[in-house]
Amino acid sequence: MDMLAKLSLPARILGLAIGIVLTVIGIGFGFAQGVSVQIIILAAIATMASFTWAWGFVLGQFAQGESTTADGISPLRRAWMAYRWPLLGLALILLAFIVLSLTVEGFFNIWNIISLIILLVILILTRTLGRQFQLNRSAFIGIMVLAGLFSVGSMNIEGFASGNNIKSMLLFASFLGIASIGQTLVALLGGLDLSIPFVIGAANVGLLYLMGLGVPPWLATLIVLGIGAILGAINGLLSYKLQGQALIVTLGTGFAISGGVQIITSIGSAYSGNVFGTVPAWLSNLSAMNGSTFGLPFPPVIAIWVVIALILILGLRLTVYGRFLYALGVNRTSASRLMISEMRYWVTMYTLSGFFAALTGSLLLGWSGGGFIGVGDQYLFLTLAAVVVGGTSLLGGAGGYGFTVIGVLVLQVLSSFLVGIGLDFKWQQFIFGLLILPMVALYARSPHIRTQI
Amino acid sequence: MTVMAPNTPSLAGNAAEAQGGRSNPFLLMPITLFFALLAFAVLRSPNLMTSTGIGAAIIVATPLIMATYALMASVIAGRGTVDLSIGPLIGFINVTLVQLHGAGLLENPIAVFLYAMAAGALYQFLFALIVIYVRVQPIIVSLSGYLALSGINLVILPRPGGMAPPFMAEWGYGTTIFSPILFILLIASAAWLLFTATAFYTHLRLMGSDERAAYTSGVPITTVRIGAHLISGCFAGLAAICFTALISSGDPSQGTTYTLIAVTALVLGGASLAGGRGGVFGSALGAVNLYLITFCLSTFNFGAVQSFVTNLAYGTILVASLLLTLLIPVIQRRIRNFSPLLYFVALSVIVLGVILHATFDYAALGTVGATLPGALDMQAALVGPLEIATLDPATEALRLQAAPLVFGAVVLAVVAVFLRLAIGQSSRNSIGPAVAVILASLVLAGAWLMMREAQTSQTGQPEATASEGDG
Repeated sequence: MDMLAKLSLPARILGLAIGIVLTVIGIGFGFAQGVSVQIIILAAIATMASFTWAWGFVLGQFAQGESTTADGISPLRRAWMAYRWPLLGLALILLAFIVLSLTVEGFFNIWNIISLIILLVILILTRTLGRQFQLNRSAFIGIMVLAGLFSVGSMNIEGFASGNNIKSMLLFASFLGIASIGQTLVALLGGLDLSIPFVIGAANVGLLYLMGLGVPPWLATLIVLGIGAILGAINGLLSYKLQGQALIVTLGTGFAISGGVQIITSIGSAYSGNVFGTVPAWLSNLSAMNGSTFGLPFPPVIAIWVVIALILILGLRLTVYGRFLYALGVNRTSASRLMISEMRYWVTMYTLSGFFAALTGSLLLGWSGGGFIGVGDQYLFLTLAAVVVGGTSLLGGAGGYGFTVIGVLVLQVLSSFLVGIGLDFKWQQFIFGLLILPMVALYARSPHIRTQI
Repeated sequence: MTVMAPNTPSLAGNAAEAQGGRSNPFLLMPITLFFALLAFAVLRSPNLMTSTGIGAAIIVATPLIMATYALMASVIAGRGTVDLSIGPLIGFINVTLVQLHGAGLLENPIAVFLYAMAAGALYQFLFALIVIYVRVQPIIVSLSGYLALSGINLVILPRPGGMAPPFMAEWGYGTTIFSPILFILLIASAAWLLFTATAFYTHLRLMGSDERAAYTSGVPITTVRIGAHLISGCFAGLAAICFTALISSGDPSQGTTYTLIAVTALVLGGASLAGGRGGVFGSALGAVNLYLITFCLSTFNFGAVQSFVTNLAYGTILVASLLLTLLIPVIQRRIRNFSPLLYFVALSVIVLGVILHATFDYAALGTVGATLPGALDMQAALVGPLEIATLDPATEALRLQAAPLVFGAVVLAVVAVFLRLAIGQSSRNSIGPAVAVILASLVLAGAWLMMREAQTSQTGQPEATASEGDG
């Protein structure tokens, strides 16, 4: 007992957690092999007890005689205070699992148990190892979640890890990723751009309309991208002038853009809101599932996204423009003391946002082959979710495009996983909503007000 | 009673400051917009100002007003708590209400009201707890709620349908002004006004404008934030009831559209999304303004592009009114003491005149339908949007005689204003003269258009009658 008391509390908790995991693995294999229940229970208890003891014993040999003399609060209570939330979460997940296995027929199989174990390992690792990565904690957690989701998906779902599915996931991820570029850059400044979905829809319809008028496709694309950038610049100027109202300004311009483009395209057309026309082959090759990049069998949009992402990540980290952007996001007063033009950055970032939104709209036209104004609607909240899940703070100054890439991939794999287990759109949306909160809560908690004084 | 010496500058300045504390210049925009839209709407469609018209307007606008109130209560609490999930929440209460009613529960009106408000309050209570204890940014919580609720709404009721409780059946007709919906609206507004008299409201505003200051001065910020969200939840419940009465069925996705409109209405009403500023008067005006925009646009027959025009108008008016709030400091420098009430009364007198004109003169002149020919007749949309009555020849002749006089008066006034501005601003390095030139040319263009229309109608009248005679 003396040995055990000397162990530091985190070490004991960790030992307990590993013990539980091992026991669960044992139970899983027991059921998988069809051993009788009594033996499984006995074996589980034995595993648990012996591991806990061994952990304490072995670590106890190395434990320094640290001072555990706490005044007033008992060590157990202190451990509870320090680790109550992860422990509660652990208990909740286990409880949910038990309830599900008792109620749903056929839920209790080996794959689900392994999935549960992976989930638990992720949770434990994020709580323990995650503390080592103070700076890139969100990226670490994101990658862990991504790896967990992917492995669980490929075990549970037929064809999840097949080349075709990965290709389609990457394809949709690149649409979302390109659309989220602007949101990320703007969020780094502490703004928001809600006009992205409207610009996407407007570019989608407007491009097809211009082509229908007989404008050469390359010129039409350039015009659409240019107009997108100009609209972005207007957004930036307005948002800068009306500090703190970026949300509503971009919403307003978004309404106006989408309405205006639809009016223009519907004049003299019998089908309001829908534009018909033919998409040139190179554009549909650019973003269709069966497209090819220099002979390689994947759509070029993935390559485009990768290149843009690399440029952005490196640019934000290494160039002076990128560092100034962070400086502005963290503290605008000191940034303006450094002669950083705030207005120029706002306008530039919103211009980029508009440009990339228009690019997404054009690429989506190539993917779908028909113009539809509502094509960008889901991106209103998805781009925000990708930025937030990735770990870029909406208050500005922290994060980066690399984080958003992880966020995009997590969202995409998650939605693909949910489709794979047979949930339709409404359930996907519900689960998305419920999952965003804990994911963000893992790393993006703001400090208590009493620490800000 | 002390008599203030008017020519003592210090005293006068103090008085202006003391009174200026009560004035709210942010109501300037919503009030102006409201009366401009109201006058326009009445001129376009005089039957807005009948018992049926106002009744229908109240029925349609009240859910939006209540949704705006719900947003307002949480926005005032600060930290950028723009509750994006308000629309799905309304939809959620709507569909659960309809489904529970369909299952035979919730027959009693009192139970329905209690359920709706309790459901809203419970959701907002959870929201507040997450914001306070998990300490995630409120906009992320609301985003999460938006996705989750709009998903679960479709699960509860996959497609529009179901029946509202029967006692609500005749609420949605809007045949009289004094519908139960109006009483809900009045009671909710009065409740908020009563609430503003409490110390709790002062705490709320203090916390919204500066949370740290509130915390250090001993305001129980946890309680205050939870209270604000509970109020917001009750308003959301009322909004859901009004919405259910309006559509008298369940609709899982219609409610979701209220999010963006309610945020727009809130900002149009002069509230600050950063927190600390906002009121029931401005919010109601903002929501009514949005309703009036839709109403005015619906009097034009844009055909298939109607909804697009509405979107365009929403966006443009929203951005324009935001830009005009930039002028408020300038206005404040000129006019120290802006009284919203006085401004409201002054404008309402003018608009009352317009309403009387539309109601009684049109009846005498003979009204035609409010539709314009053609899907997008630019000429008609530019020139003839205001008056929809056909004039009898006597009035027409009188008008033609008066036209040169009116034109002359307008020109004289414009020249005078322009000269005054140009002279006054010439010494300063500002864009004032340029703005004056542009405004002057716009007004002159308008006057010229009036002239031309008068001439064309003079010459065009016989042609029209001739062609009618031919046909």
